Amino acid sequence: MTQLILFKDIDEPGLATLEVYQRRGGYEGMRKALGMSRDQLIAELEASGLRGRGGAGFSMGKKASFIPKGTMDKYLVCNADESEPGTFKDRELMQKCPHMLIEGMIIAAYAVGANRAFIYIRGEYELQAQILERALEEARGQGYIGEDILGSGHSMTLWLHRGAGAYICGEETALLDSLEGKRGNPRLKPPFPANQGLFQGPTLINNVETLATVPHIIRMGGEEYAKLGTPGSTGTKLVSVSGNVRNPGNFEIELGTPAREIIYGLAGGPHEGREVKFWFPGGSSSPVLLPKDLDLPYDFDSMAKAGSMLGSGAIIVIDDANSVVDVALKTAKFYRHESCGKCTPCREGTNWTVRMLERIDSGEATPMDLDIMASVQEQIIGNCLCVLGDAMAMPVGSMIAKFREEFEAHIEAARERNDALTTAVAPPEALIQGAVA
Amino acid sequence: MPRPETRMVTLSIDGREVTAPENVMLVDGAKYGDVEIPVFCYEPKLGAPVGACRMCLVEIEGIPKLQTACSTPVKDGMVVHTQTARVHAAQEAIVEFLLINHPLDCPVCDKGGECPLQDISFGWGGGRSRFIEPKRHFQKPLALSPLIAIDRERCILCYRCVRFSQEIAEDYQLVLQERAAHTFVATFDGHPYVAPFSGNIIELCPVGALTSQPYRFRARPWDIEGSGSVCTLCPAQCNVNFTVRDERVLRVLARDHAEVDDGWLCDKGRFAYQAVHVDERITRPMIRDGGELRPVSWERALEHAASALGRAQARVGAIAGGETTNEEGFLLQRLVREVLLSNDVDSRAGGSLSLDLHRALGAPAAQATVSDLEFADAVLVLDCEPVDDAPILDLRIRKGVRRRRVELAVATSRPSSLDPNARLRVRFAPGCAEAFLLALEAAIGTAAGEPRREEVARLAQAAGADAGAVHALADLLTTSGDDVVVLWGERVTGGERGEYAGRALLNVAGRLGLRDRDGAGLLCVPAGTNGRGLAEAGVLPNAGPGLSEVEEAGRDAAGIAAAVAAGDLVALYLLHTDPLRDLPNRGAWEAALDRASLVVAHAAFLTEGIRAHADVVFPAESYAEKEGTVTHPDGRLQRLRPAIGHQGETRAEWQVLAELARRLGRDLGVHTGPMATDQLVAAVPFYAGITLDELGGKGLRWPAREAASAFPAPATAGPFELEPPAPAPAPNGRLRLGTFRSIWAAPEVEVSPALKFLHPRQRAELSPADAQRLKLFPGDRVTVGSDGHSVSAIVALRDGAPEGTVFLETAIPEDSASLLEGPLVEVRKA
Ligand SMILES: Cc1cc2nc3c(=O)[nH]c(=O)nc-3n(C[C@H](O)[C@H](O)[C@H](O)COP(=O)(O)O)c2cc1C
Ligand code: SF4
Ligand code: SF4
Ligand code: FES
Repeated sequence: MTQLILFKDIDEPGLATLEVYQRRGGYEGMRKALGMSRDQLIAELEASGLRGRGGAGFSMGKKASFIPKGTMDKYLVCNADESEPGTFKDRELMQKCPHMLIEGMIIAAYAVGANRAFIYIRGEYELQAQILERALEEARGQGYIGEDILGSGHSMTLWLHRGAGAYICGEETALLDSLEGKRGNPRLKPPFPANQGLFQGPTLINNVETLATVPHIIRMGGEEYAKLGTPGSTGTKLVSVSGNVRNPGNFEIELGTPAREIIYGLAGGPHEGREVKFWFPGGSSSPVLLPKDLDLPYDFDSMAKAGSMLGSGAIIVIDDANSVVDVALKTAKFYRHESCGKCTPCREGTNWTVRMLERIDSGEATPMDLDIMASVQEQIIGNCLCVLGDAMAMPVGSMIAKFREEFEAHIEAARERNDALTTAVAPPEALIQGAVA
Repeated sequence: MPRPETRMVTLSIDGREVTAPENVMLVDGAKYGDVEIPVFCYEPKLGAPVGACRMCLVEIEGIPKLQTACSTPVKDGMVVHTQTARVHAAQEAIVEFLLINHPLDCPVCDKGGECPLQDISFGWGGGRSRFIEPKRHFQKPLALSPLIAIDRERCILCYRCVRFSQEIAEDYQLVLQERAAHTFVATFDGHPYVAPFSGNIIELCPVGALTSQPYRFRARPWDIEGSGSVCTLCPAQCNVNFTVRDERVLRVLARDHAEVDDGWLCDKGRFAYQAVHVDERITRPMIRDGGELRPVSWERALEHAASALGRAQARVGAIAGGETTNEEGFLLQRLVREVLLSNDVDSRAGGSLSLDLHRALGAPAAQATVSDLEFADAVLVLDCEPVDDAPILDLRIRKGVRRRRVELAVATSRPSSLDPNARLRVRFAPGCAEAFLLALEAAIGTAAGEPRREEVARLAQAAGADAGAVHALADLLTTSGDDVVVLWGERVTGGERGEYAGRALLNVAGRLGLRDRDGAGLLCVPAGTNGRGLAEAGVLPNAGPGLSEVEEAGRDAAGIAAAVAAGDLVALYLLHTDPLRDLPNRGAWEAALDRASLVVAHAAFLTEGIRAHADVVFPAESYAEKEGTVTHPDGRLQRLRPAIGHQGETRAEWQVLAELARRLGRDLGVHTGPMATDQLVAAVPFYAGITLDELGGKGLRWPAREAASAFPAPATAGPFELEPPAPAPAPNGRLRLGTFRSIWAAPEVEVSPALKFLHPRQRAELSPADAQRLKLFPGDRVTVGSDGHSVSAIVALRDGAPEGTVFLETAIPEDSASLLEGPLVEVRKA
């Protein structure tokens, strides 16, 4: 049985209030952290092996250690934009336990010397924004946020900022531009946010879950935390399981748990009479895996080795009642719609891919179009300014590679259907001639 | 601020060893090894790279992903490949992507033949397209503004135009609307993109998406020739390239000079070339005959002028306008002094200064350069409005503030478009620069511990300025760093107290230690394009060539007007100037022109004063036809080269001046344009040895040459003992009058079809508080009057305008503020 950390008390009534949260041991990590030195804190985070939970899986401790020392204005930003299809773990965390995120942010801000912190929350999360605002008020009231927090000498402000509905604003540099009041377009990196982020100042930016884990690491000690999970993927992870399963939802698992256990054990597996056809292991931007991959341990390295990624930890299960063409088209359309349009391969490549998939779907394509489509995906991957382009090209490319026969069969079937239709509705030759005459 | 030093690094590109300056981006570094890496969005003039187009992907050993060469600085030992299969595949991919929605209407596209997209598709593309879906469609072409057409189908969304608007001109009008494949360039509010520098986006656009409305379909690149020269429409003297087809100027492009214009042009410089070929232009000599100017032969015009001038002998006054070249000015003062035996010659509108002051203000040791504005620790903009007076300097100042964090202070009467960029803004009453500078000097003293607070308070009050702001300015100027540049408008030294204001300025400069400091100093924005050159060529009543002493000083412009009106002088010689348009105190000039028995003018347009008063008109060359030199405000001699032949019967001015002298019995010894330059150089000791060849395409700053040591030293460069001036007049219900000359106030703008819509009409700029008090609203028509004269104007509100002041335009054909005497006026609803 997985040791629950983030979700231990998640269904405790009133956990969103300061009172219940504190009764359950909340803000202990913060008190402990404020008694430690900044270097000690960063050392603990590094020892924990915690990897970012937002998608890229970069070591949280290492990123924090990149923030330069010095007296310039530094920033902490929480990425709560959670817009990747299939991902809904941050929502539950913020809704049910907002103080855990706030506590994590206070510790992280103290660790890197940031005096200004922001939560950038996806615009659609209105309820969660209200809950967070209330929790922030409580925390300010307690003096956890403000001047000279609990006599530590550390001061910080923490503001909630609501996005306006663009997936790209989850990309960290686009998020920063958006937060600055500009159009949300990714920036060129380097400079990385750790050096020049928000308003040109050093900025630590992390996912909700990453930051919410921080109090626990401080409470338990980094080494203790690292004992959970696998050596390369320590700790526990919230996994959002959706798609064709009986019991979709968020589950906390120890990293390294076999995928089958998550999909079949926790999420109840596919519906009666259905089989898993393929699955996205890390949100809609991860290359799809097959049933044969179900016994792989669910962790960062194993997913990467299998040619995909753990991403945000969102498993989408597709059963055998679905057409791969349909899934590919839906996926591509999402990314075409969400491309910011700044860089060429993503802007043009996503649009082109959708157009081709639409033709494939409607039977106006040939197998040659599949080759073109596959090559277009290759032309996108690795060539974009941010990885949104890759986020379409990788899953779509993997679907073409793994289900080419189905694509071909679909083209053929659709074409035959079209032919049949044309013959059926076409008026007899004689009639046309008659009409002309 | 010291300029960054360049160290060289060595790297390998495609197996070749390449040495390039450290920190340049790989695309630029590669050029040192003759390797070209294709780019679309990269344009260093626009600031930091954005990495949007992805055209420049290359392989760098040790980095798994391909990298954008436009954003990767070169490093020692870097190993780069631009010709591998991987790189080729990526480059072909980008070209294919860019072309899938491109209309490929090259045969009807203005950019065809000089289009980076064509060139790069040809050089780096795969030569095929597999895209068979319908292309993206937009309505096309649309007018982005009356000057610029936009074809959104051709746009490759490289962001250049938007970056220009947002980060260079900072007019914040252009944005990208929508997202993904629907993205398009537009103004944020859908209004036309009208701004002083808008035309630069045409040149920046790497495709035919943004084209010049006046140039559209006028020529193809293989029909045209380029001809480098200098724009003489304002003192910024930007370097330009005229596009010429069949002896017609069809276009003006920037000719990138980092020390002058940074590669930008204002819209006046870019589009007013149309004035070269309009019907309004005077292209034949004319003589007044029966009250009307009628075309005559050169022979008759010259003979008439020569004999009438001969009769007037010594009772001639001459004025040279700002666009007069050094050679023309030099020959004019020879004609006046040596041939007509008069001392009355001037080129300054605002009254004469002592020779010593000219020498002190113009001394090489006190001189700042254009690029100093960008690298200074602090810049003080003093009583000038760069965007109107020398537009391109406005961009340079913005660049310094944005990219090098220059501390900017603006001390003016009229609000400046640089106000939002400035750390500090100080307003003083119009014409009160003297009191303001005295206050500033005292405040600098206070900052250094002298007990002069009360003095500052008194002087600031006299200047109509806030004493606290003056102290803050003194702090800023003394604590930002040693390299301080003061960009000052010639209007500081205008008017009766100009001499004292100039001395006060030198006192401030002395206090700040601006002399003999590289990177610091004074930079004057003269009222006329070649104000500096004309002074140095001897077109001053009290100075000969090289700011030499003259035996007997003559009358300045205002003195000439008075003397003609009084009958002491009988003839006026006007070289490129219409006093009713260009000079202050219109009343005095009307009287003078009415009374003069002879008015000889070199003019290109029949502006009011010429039309009504000239007796002989010589058709003036346009700047596209001229040869000669002008001197930039920072001392750079720049060469004008004719791009086209003389239009109509126009002749070179030097030739006309020499011919008149000959007919008056004196051979000036000038038979070619370059001979005039030689004479000038010989006569100005600190120009010694300069040749036209040496000036070449980039010109050269004489203050940086050895001969600069021959510059005549002033008796003293300060500090001067100065008395406090009379305080600014109290408005008492009336308003103080301030004047300004808009960037668009020029006959060239009025006659250029494309620019006509911009030509200014009188407007009264008021602070919102005054407008409220007077119950006026923007757009109201008012009359502004003093002493029986009045002009009509439209009310415009201006935030940051000092209360109790109204600003009106000069140099416009109707209702010019030069009709009003001030200093106080009454504003009434019409
Ligand atoms: C297109 C795109 C969308 C992203 N959306 C999110 C998001 O919604 N939430 C998130 O935490 N990270 C998102 N990321 C990842 C962030 O860029 C960044 O890696 C993350 O916020 C870092 O936090 P972490 O290290 O704690 O994971 C996105 C990345 C890309 C390229
Ligand atoms: S990959 Fe897409 S979303 Fe990312 S910068 Fe390029 S166009 Fe924008
Ligand atoms: S209009 Fe031209 S400069 Fe502007 S984004 Fe499009 S291609 Fe680039
Ligand atoms: S030139 Fe490098 S990305 Fe555009």
